[in-house]
Amino acid sequence: MNKINRNNIVNNLYKYIPITLLFVSALNESDFNNLGLKYFSFNFSYILIFYYSLKKSESLGYIAIFIAGLFNDVVLGAPIGLSSLMYLIICVAASYLRNITLRPSLLKDSIFFLITILIVNSLLFIILNFIFGFETNYYEQITSIIWTFLLYFLFSTIFDFFDHYFLGRNNVR
Amino acid sequence: METSRDDFVIAIRSAFLKKGTQQRFSLLSLIFFSIVFLILGSLNFKAIDYIKKGIKEIVYRSSFIVSGPENFLKNNYLIINSHFNLYEERKKNIGELNYLRSRDLSQQIITLENIKYKKLIDDYFIEDNETVAKVLIDKQSPFLRSVIINKGSKNNIELGMVVLSEGYLVGKIVEVNFFTSRVLLISDINSKIPVSLQPGDIQAIMSGKNKQEGVLQYVKDKNLSDINKEKQVLTSGAGGIFKSGIPIGVINTDEDLAINLDKVVSFHKDFSQLKYVKVVSFFKENNNLDPSSKKNAQKMESEIEETNQRQETLRILLEQKQIADEIRIKIQKENNFLRNEHVRLKNEISLAKKNNQQNKEIKFLEMNLVYGHKCRKSFFNKLYKVGTAKYKECVLSKGLKK
Repeated sequence: MNKINRNNIVNNLYKYIPITLLFVSALNESDFNNLGLKYFSFNFSYILIFYYSLKKSESLGYIAIFIAGLFNDVVLGAPIGLSSLMYLIICVAASYLRNITLRPSLLKDSIFFLITILIVNSLLFIILNFIFGFETNYYEQITSIIWTFLLYFLFSTIFDFFDHYFLGRNNVR
Repeated sequence: METSRDDFVIAIRSAFLKKGTQQRFSLLSLIFFSIVFLILGSLNFKAIDYIKKGIKEIVYRSSFIVSGPENFLKNNYLIINSHFNLYEERKKNIGELNYLRSRDLSQQIITLENIKYKKLIDDYFIEDNETVAKVLIDKQSPFLRSVIINKGSKNNIELGMVVLSEGYLVGKIVEVNFFTSRVLLISDINSKIPVSLQPGDIQAIMSGKNKQEGVLQYVKDKNLSDINKEKQVLTSGAGGIFKSGIPIGVINTDEDLAINLDKVVSFHKDFSQLKYVKVVSFFKENNNLDPSSKKNAQKMESEIEETNQRQETLRILLEQKQIADEIRIKIQKENNFLRNEHVRLKNEISLAKKNNQQNKEIKFLEMNLVYGHKCRKSFFNKLYKVGTAKYKECVLSKGLKK
């Protein structure tokens, strides 16, 4: 009985890992999106949100995503509500893909992810430049999009592995 | 065709409106909230402002805590690194210290003269409200390079105040909360600072480029090519936000000491290593001709005079020291030369003495062959025994004298 209880607690802790990762990536000083390297940056939050909204929407609540976006805006100094909007658009795309997909495949998911982040970053660029008057570097955005897309394969595999071995869920692929 | 459009609409509708398991809000309502936040936030709506301030106070503290482990690792890495570089650093510091010491006095004079002339043209600013703050968060976003400090409106921080670190310009305050404030770094692409390039007094606007560099805008290349020297970049004071003369950085030059085409400014301060900063505001000193200001001016004059005299005395002393050193070296050289001569002569004398003795010996032996029998003691005479002093004397005097 004790063992079952302990397993439940551990499983519950594992369940909160995606949310914890999301909030840590929003609040932490180090940002993969701005590592200071010239040709390497990626948006970890986009990958995390897309993956979990697509594969296990129950792991990341929309409210949590919304709040993480607000926190991210505050830490970055961006207009408040902007990251939330971008995160939620990713959620919409993931949810749409989930609805239309009969046989999931990593390649199709990643291509859809690429289209989504292209749209999201374009929207971000337009809002920041034309509405709020922030100057952003176009090439940095492109670099970030390319690396985010490429690293989706890696992180998707890591998250699958995590689910399979720690939570014992196989029905996510 | 009709069916596929229906499918698309259904899927989209489901994506926007279906709450799903464990979701309390639909995506559409949350997107609506985000847009409301964005619009009302940009219009400075009061309720949103209060929510923003509340969130900021919580988030800045939480972010400081969340970044704790990472900062701990980063700091330890820096400490270890600095230990490894200790010897090199020390050598470099000693060199720099000697160089700076020699420049210190002339710097003092220039500063005092500068203050005097600035007062004359009514452009002298005095530091007013000075607050030292700790950097809480140093998260560099792709569209805003800024840091959060732990002082806010509670500590009389106001928008537009200047932020310095070790006398170098770091940025200005762009957001003030009750306990915290945001500093826009000069490395941010959105920061535009009126600068002046010295020597040459060329005016330009500097914008941020990346972590350690800025870039000059609105400057004529023709002006830059005239001076082939390293150029210091200082605030020009135009626009009245920053006081003039705050050091920012230097302009990179290539091997020919020509200004590169990008007009890149290397900042003096490394913004990724900021821990404590000074937030200051400046106010203009009234340039009245009242007795107190006259007295101050006179005091300053006398200070300049005194410093000039001190520098002159120091220069004379240094020259005297140089002459004394030269004389000392000369005497030392002569001393060495004489000592060597003395040793050489001594050797020569001892050699000569030795030669002399040998000659005497040879002469005695030669004479011994000739006159030895005249002096040698035998059975038939009572002369001298061989080897005695008298025998030697007898041989040298060519036998016994009658």
